[in-house]
Amino acid sequence: MQERLASSFDPFVLPYTIGLVFILTYLFIALIRVVKALPNDDKFKLLKHIFSLKIFKSGWEIFMECLLHRKIWKKNWTLGYMHTAFAFGWFLLIIWGHLEVNIFAPHRLNLPWYPIFFRYFMMETETTLQGSFFFFMMDLTLLYVLSGLVLAIYKRFRRKAFGMKRTTKLRWNDQVAMYALWAIFPLRFLAESFYSEISGGSFLTAGVGSIFHWFYNFTENEIYIRPIWWAYSISLGVFFIMLPWSRYTHILSEPLFIIMRNAGIREEHRNSGYGKVEIYSCSRCGICLDPCQLVSVASLRDSAAINYTRHLRLWKSAKAHQAASTCLMCNRCTKACPVGVDTAALKLNTKHELVNLHTEKQYDYLNTSVKDISTPLNALTLSGAEATDVDVIYFAGCMTHLTPATKLAMTKILEASGERFNFIDAEGSICCGRPVLLAGARKSADELIKKNTELFNQIHAKTLVTSCPICYKFFKENYALNMRVLHHSQYIQELLKIGKIKINPTTAKIVFHDPCELGRNSGVYDEPREVLKSVGQLQSTAYDGDESLCCGHSIAAEALPYRKRRVMSDDVVEKLTTNNPDILATACPACKKAFSETNKIEVKDLAEIVAENLV
Amino acid sequence: MKSIAIIGAGIAGIEAASRLSKQGHKVYLIEKNPEIGGHVAQWDRLFPSQEEAEIVLNDLIKNLNNRAEVLFNSEVQHCGKKDRQFEIILTGNKNLLVDVILVTTGFDTFRAQRKEEYGYGIYENVITSTDLEQMFKKHNVVCKNGNPPKRLAFVHCVGSRDEKVGNRHCSKVCCATAVKQACEIKELYPDCEVFNLYMDLRMFDRHFEDMYHEAQSKYYVNFIRGRLSEAGENKDHQVVLKTEDTLAGKPLKLTVDLLVLMTGMEACDTQKTLNTKLGLRSDTDGFLSTKDVFTQNNFSNTDGVFFAGTCTGPKTIPETLADARAAASLVNAYLMS
Repeated sequence: MQERLASSFDPFVLPYTIGLVFILTYLFIALIRVVKALPNDDKFKLLKHIFSLKIFKSGWEIFMECLLHRKIWKKNWTLGYMHTAFAFGWFLLIIWGHLEVNIFAPHRLNLPWYPIFFRYFMMETETTLQGSFFFFMMDLTLLYVLSGLVLAIYKRFRRKAFGMKRTTKLRWNDQVAMYALWAIFPLRFLAESFYSEISGGSFLTAGVGSIFHWFYNFTENEIYIRPIWWAYSISLGVFFIMLPWSRYTHILSEPLFIIMRNAGIREEHRNSGYGKVEIYSCSRCGICLDPCQLVSVASLRDSAAINYTRHLRLWKSAKAHQAASTCLMCNRCTKACPVGVDTAALKLNTKHELVNLHTEKQYDYLNTSVKDISTPLNALTLSGAEATDVDVIYFAGCMTHLTPATKLAMTKILEASGERFNFIDAEGSICCGRPVLLAGARKSADELIKKNTELFNQIHAKTLVTSCPICYKFFKENYALNMRVLHHSQYIQELLKIGKIKINPTTAKIVFHDPCELGRNSGVYDEPREVLKSVGQLQSTAYDGDESLCCGHSIAAEALPYRKRRVMSDDVVEKLTTNNPDILATACPACKKAFSETNKIEVKDLAEIVAENLV
Repeated sequence: MKSIAIIGAGIAGIEAASRLSKQGHKVYLIEKNPEIGGHVAQWDRLFPSQEEAEIVLNDLIKNLNNRAEVLFNSEVQHCGKKDRQFEIILTGNKNLLVDVILVTTGFDTFRAQRKEEYGYGIYENVITSTDLEQMFKKHNVVCKNGNPPKRLAFVHCVGSRDEKVGNRHCSKVCCATAVKQACEIKELYPDCEVFNLYMDLRMFDRHFEDMYHEAQSKYYVNFIRGRLSEAGENKDHQVVLKTEDTLAGKPLKLTVDLLVLMTGMEACDTQKTLNTKLGLRSDTDGFLSTKDVFTQNNFSNTDGVFFAGTCTGPKTIPETLADARAAASLVNAYLMS
């Protein structure tokens, strides 16, 4: 292996080199801006993470996700192969290129174009065959990337083969970057094949090169040979320059995003730097489109996570607000996202921007004196607060008061169990705060949390039971209570297990709908199913567990019209009742109301089914 | 002789049938129930004049004078165009071949169970306006325990003007009915306190304002502007209401012995099944869509199919009857041409 040319430079390397300098400068400036925007404690967290052993965990995650795309493999093998071929294949090509220079021309390592256009500047002499290993590995890897490219082109025509019904609609900037990316590898292949007679090659480039020469025996100086190197360099340069203005920004931001996430940084207020990295880490792969019911059922494509992040990138705040306030926050998209972009947290920030000072003052009266009757507080104090010596506090929740059959069922169950309980909001209560938080009113939510915590903690109970998954999630995650928090499905399951209540099994065929806030957002899947198995025949559906759908009546989507909600509820009921169950059971008042509206099947809360069949 | 099938023997169907049969056409009046008269047959007295529904209905039936062939317990199983006529297959495989179909399928009352927060079917002292009319008819307006109510509330707009149940439309007759029923309760039990929880009072027609005025000046009925948010039940099975007096700007808690839900009108299920068979279209509110809102509101988009009554949206009784007569005259003109 030896240098073929006296000069180590040729003008065609310029487009590539300019692109590279541009992207490195961009990356450096962006990095500084992001870190600068981080709050001080987050900067400290980041520093601590980088200089700890945990950085290896981040490194491993970057390798597994950014290069191997492990999460995409889980979704669909073909799709996973395609992404890995591009990312890991290209990464290997860069590694091989640098190894070659390192071994055969170490004095050229300072030239950034040398590893890329190695075969233009170097040649394999007949006497030394040291390079053949790398030539072979290079060709093999190139073939691997090209196979990914074939799949990528195929995907544009038949995305169903990749497990996707919908895919991203590309804008001009994405298209330019994508075609530049697609062009890089075939051009490299052609350039190296043409040069294989001169510089050498392996099975792929040398093989194809000799076929070219068999057709026409050209020499290096012929006019149409060198432009191939130019084209290869230009495609690289265009791709690098388009990188920050296209969906491919994620190649730069995702590793940083992983490091920041593992450092424990979270998006708590807008423009904290982390949020920026997060929205630029969205690769616009389109995997979140199919799970989103707003897209698939309600035809609100603009509200999809992928489009929401784009609105943010393009500073289209009105559109971002619209997307955030029609989002159901069911988190089906975040579960599906291979990058782990948590758009739900970002959307809360967007909504927070809309909340004005006046709205945030609405709960100020909570901290005024209870005796001051000019405040509405006297109408809102918890009724059972005087009974302090109990085992269980039962908090039905405002939504459950709108489905009174559930709270009556729970009262019957609690009475049958013999537990000493206090139905704390029988006469009324104040909101748990989660609906207010989901509307973006953080200060108001904090006031409600403070007041409720005070009211609950003054009763010395062991357990707080609620019938509302929305309250449950909030009590569990955002409150500091002196007692454990259970959703009624968990509590009933416990009562059944220790034998405090007994039920007569029935033959009713039951389908269970997992409420988003209880299932996907709190991880409670098994207890409701165990309860239902003991009372009837529980049928499984294709939408159990993490696959569960949103009923459409989410309290988070304040700008979603009821007609759209209804379309979604109808769709869910249809999907859940394909096996003709007798009862559609759920464990959330919002879901119950959504499904009752469709008028198609008997809808019950699981507490009602249990209460009806108590021994 | 030309023949007409009228689907639905409510007041619109009866009125149109008597007009058309008088003009010498063969009329089939198809009714799914064993009796004719529709919703009016369930009513005791009618606003604004307090005339008995039975008298009005009997007058209409007397006009019909047995000229039309009434097919009881019959539902349309199939219908379709056959040459220039329509072929209708009814339950029990009865076949009809007619020149014109007049749709008078009317409305369905909103199923109050759908507003679970109001407790219909859950709390024993929550009834609907239809239930109350039945009580008036039987002269037995009492709570579940048999005692007369000392305090009673009407909730307006149950299932009407309510996005959450998918009904944005106003049902038109419930406000006047609530005022009428409130006065009747006071006539029956002068000491009973009566509350009307309303959004707006839509006293749009002749004599309605007088009735509303009388309800306040003569009967001392209380009107509170505010929508009921939820109802609960106390140990005495009284209904506890949570609402807001939006004029006073205060939250309100009200305990009543009897709660009456003014259930609204919805497009009826029978009509929905006809739609696909006859190529009819429904509007966003579910009611039938007419050829033109102003000039052709008895015409459908299918030649030979006409509409009358509340199948094209909520109407009062005088409006329904006028609509039926208009439809009858248009059908006659169509058959003569």
